[in-house]
Amino acid sequence: MEKKNNLQGKLMIIISAICAVIWLFPYLYLISSSFKPGAEVVSIPAKFFPKVLSVENFTSLFERMPVLHYIFNSFLVAIVSTLIAIILGALSAYAIQRSGAKLATLLVVIVLCLKMIPTSSIAVPIYELITNLGLYDTKVALIIVYAAINMPFVMWVMLGFYEGIPVTLDEAACMDGASSLKTFIYIILPICTPGLATAFVFTLFLSWNEFLLSLLLTSTSAKTFTVGLSEFLSAYSMDLGPMCAGALIFSLPVMVLSIVAQKFIVKGITAGAVKG
Amino acid sequence: MQLISRKTILAFFLPGALFMGLFMIYPIFKMGLDSLFNFNPNGLREFVGFDNYIKAFTNESFLQPLKNTLFYVVIAVVVELILGTVLALVFEANFKGNKTIRSLILTPLMIAPLVAGLIWKLMLSSQFGIINQLLVNVGILKNTSQILWLADEKWALLSCTLADIWLTTPFMMLMILAGLQGLDGAMLEAATIDGATWWQKIFSIKLPNIKPILLTALSIRIIDAARTFDIVWAMTQGGPNGSSELISVVIYKTLTRYNKVGYASAMALILIVVLVIFTLVAMQGLWNPKKKQTV
Repeated sequence: MEKKNNLQGKLMIIISAICAVIWLFPYLYLISSSFKPGAEVVSIPAKFFPKVLSVENFTSLFERMPVLHYIFNSFLVAIVSTLIAIILGALSAYAIQRSGAKLATLLVVIVLCLKMIPTSSIAVPIYELITNLGLYDTKVALIIVYAAINMPFVMWVMLGFYEGIPVTLDEAACMDGASSLKTFIYIILPICTPGLATAFVFTLFLSWNEFLLSLLLTSTSAKTFTVGLSEFLSAYSMDLGPMCAGALIFSLPVMVLSIVAQKFIVKGITAGAVKG
Repeated sequence: MQLISRKTILAFFLPGALFMGLFMIYPIFKMGLDSLFNFNPNGLREFVGFDNYIKAFTNESFLQPLKNTLFYVVIAVVVELILGTVLALVFEANFKGNKTIRSLILTPLMIAPLVAGLIWKLMLSSQFGIINQLLVNVGILKNTSQILWLADEKWALLSCTLADIWLTTPFMMLMILAGLQGLDGAMLEAATIDGATWWQKIFSIKLPNIKPILLTALSIRIIDAARTFDIVWAMTQGGPNGSSELISVVIYKTLTRYNKVGYASAMALILIVVLVIFTLVAMQGLWNPKKKQTV
């Protein structure tokens, strides 16, 4: 019996390892293509491994576009917009959850619906609004828009968390003379740290990866990395090498962070499911 | 007694609500208004009533992307569901190295859809793409330009779904795995004692019991797939000849290339209404099952 289990275990390792290799193949191919000489990326026939290792793609990427500037923009916009979304979203969700108002249920439904709205469909009026405010091509514009569109997600995660915290806890703090803000900051938030972490990691990724709005709202100074990358699309095929290098630089922090923070990502993804 | 004063509640609620009101709710109303007008290049607008909506539902420029979007959603979500279930069943088994390999598979989960599109564009290129080269090597294709994945109207949309499937199957797997791990062990043990086979356990016990999670995952994925933009933009930009145009792509093009604000608003609003109705229906059935039973 034990021998059979052992054999089965080994078989499962092999099957799962094969799945993993197939699944990681596209990304591994991106890595290997990045380190090929530029011409080899588009050579025929295509080979997986580079004949010679080269950083040519990276150097020509840096020559072609202000990589660090774009990365800085992407990073700054992602961090600041995430912080705003988390702080304001957590507060709003708390107000909705604890208000006891009849409107609360309706508001929860509205939050959920807002979470489902496609960016592509509200991009038009957002573009007009930002232009009218005189914020076109500024990082401020991206920060406030990203904060707004990611807020429903933050609220959704936090609503679930607050629900699990008994109101008696708030009451006890209130009796002891703590103000509502103090209760929220010192009592409620510490309990919600896992939820906050999940919301933070997710929102950070969403903002870092965002493309369409940045494409519409920026032209030069506030341009983010995704828009910079997309410019390779209209270029000649010879530029696919630098494009790979760019895609690698852009996605490497994401890959590393998703391994480090996988616990929170898994939580964030299954957050909708556990409510069932 | 009200625990938190009304004033404080409002102070907590309003800042966030203002943000969302300004950048999410106001845009929807603005589009509702815009969709009733035609905007002329000279800056004048002309009231046309529901013409833009009528145009959308009678014109190929909207109906074709609508069909494409449906095709995209169905293919991507069905394949993701099947692959996700298979992977979840594999990783549900207890074996050495399970966790390590699982986290490896999960790593592409957070990659930007744009980057996923770029990677697949590179791999599916007809001449120097590695997919066609592999297919030639194993003898399925005679030469690398036999299938033009991205340049052939027959294949372009399907190629885009490939990138989507690659990017989001880990999500499906994760959801289903979470469901499987939450199952009552005693139930499965009882089935084993009663002599249920491996297949029976999967199809008669495991899958039916995680139905709520399966449906939740499905509805999240259907909505996400229906609003795809980045992947298609990276791979084909809707081409060739509109064969891979999704609704989100056509909205963007109508706006930026043809500058038809009214028509774009009408299409955008149709998409929003469909998704919101879908969300409400799904929510009614999923997140509120008790309420539904009593009705």
